[in-house]
Amino acid sequence: MADDPNRRLIDARGKACPGPITDLSLAYRRSKVGDVFELWATDPGIRPDLQAWAKKTGNEIVSVEERDGAIVAVLRIRAR
Amino acid sequence: MAGKLSIILFSGTADKFIPLGVLTQGAAAMGMETRVFVTGFALLGFTKERHELPFPAEFAAMAPALAKGLTAKQVPPWDAMLRQAKELGARVYACSMMSGVMGLERGDFNALVDDVVGVATFLEKAEGGQTLFI
Repeated sequence: MADDPNRRLIDARGKACPGPITDLSLAYRRSKVGDVFELWATDPGIRPDLQAWAKKTGNEIVSVEERDGAIVAVLRIRAR
Repeated sequence: MAGKLSIILFSGTADKFIPLGVLTQGAAAMGMETRVFVTGFALLGFTKERHELPFPAEFAAMAPALAKGLTAKQVPPWDAMLRQAKELGARVYACSMMSGVMGLERGDFNALVDDVVGVATFLEKAEGGQTLFI
């Protein structure tokens, strides 16, 4: 996964809600189908918010995990 | 179709502007059609002339602790959240009737305000979505 050249890093660590979901939305606007995002956030609300965002926009959550004190989510853009 | 959120902001107290910013930015980030209709004393938060927004008396004692917490958690000011929401497509309207009552004209409002409209315009735009009164 980590060697995917199309993967875009979104660093929203330290940002309070709705900062992380906003950063994701801004990146989504400039994306194309097939793009992969790696979102780093520390606001715990991002876990359920990601589910809500993906459901609303029709995109895929590939994985969500904790790493270095942050929540790291990988998303694949399925719908534009 | 991602839905629609319309917020009527009536209260002019500082505490209410925080959920305004969060909800507006969050809804816009979710791809929702997002609109704010500003009326009553809340209009004073949208003028070129800066007004100090008061805290409700019953919470005034907690205001310093709240301000400290917001800073510690790096929560942006409400107007920054609203600007971000507007970049994502949100729109802000001032109520024409209350603007008139308070002696405010189009040119008195800052750049957050997209237009001065009547209630019928807002209701027509809000139709079929969720509406919140703050």
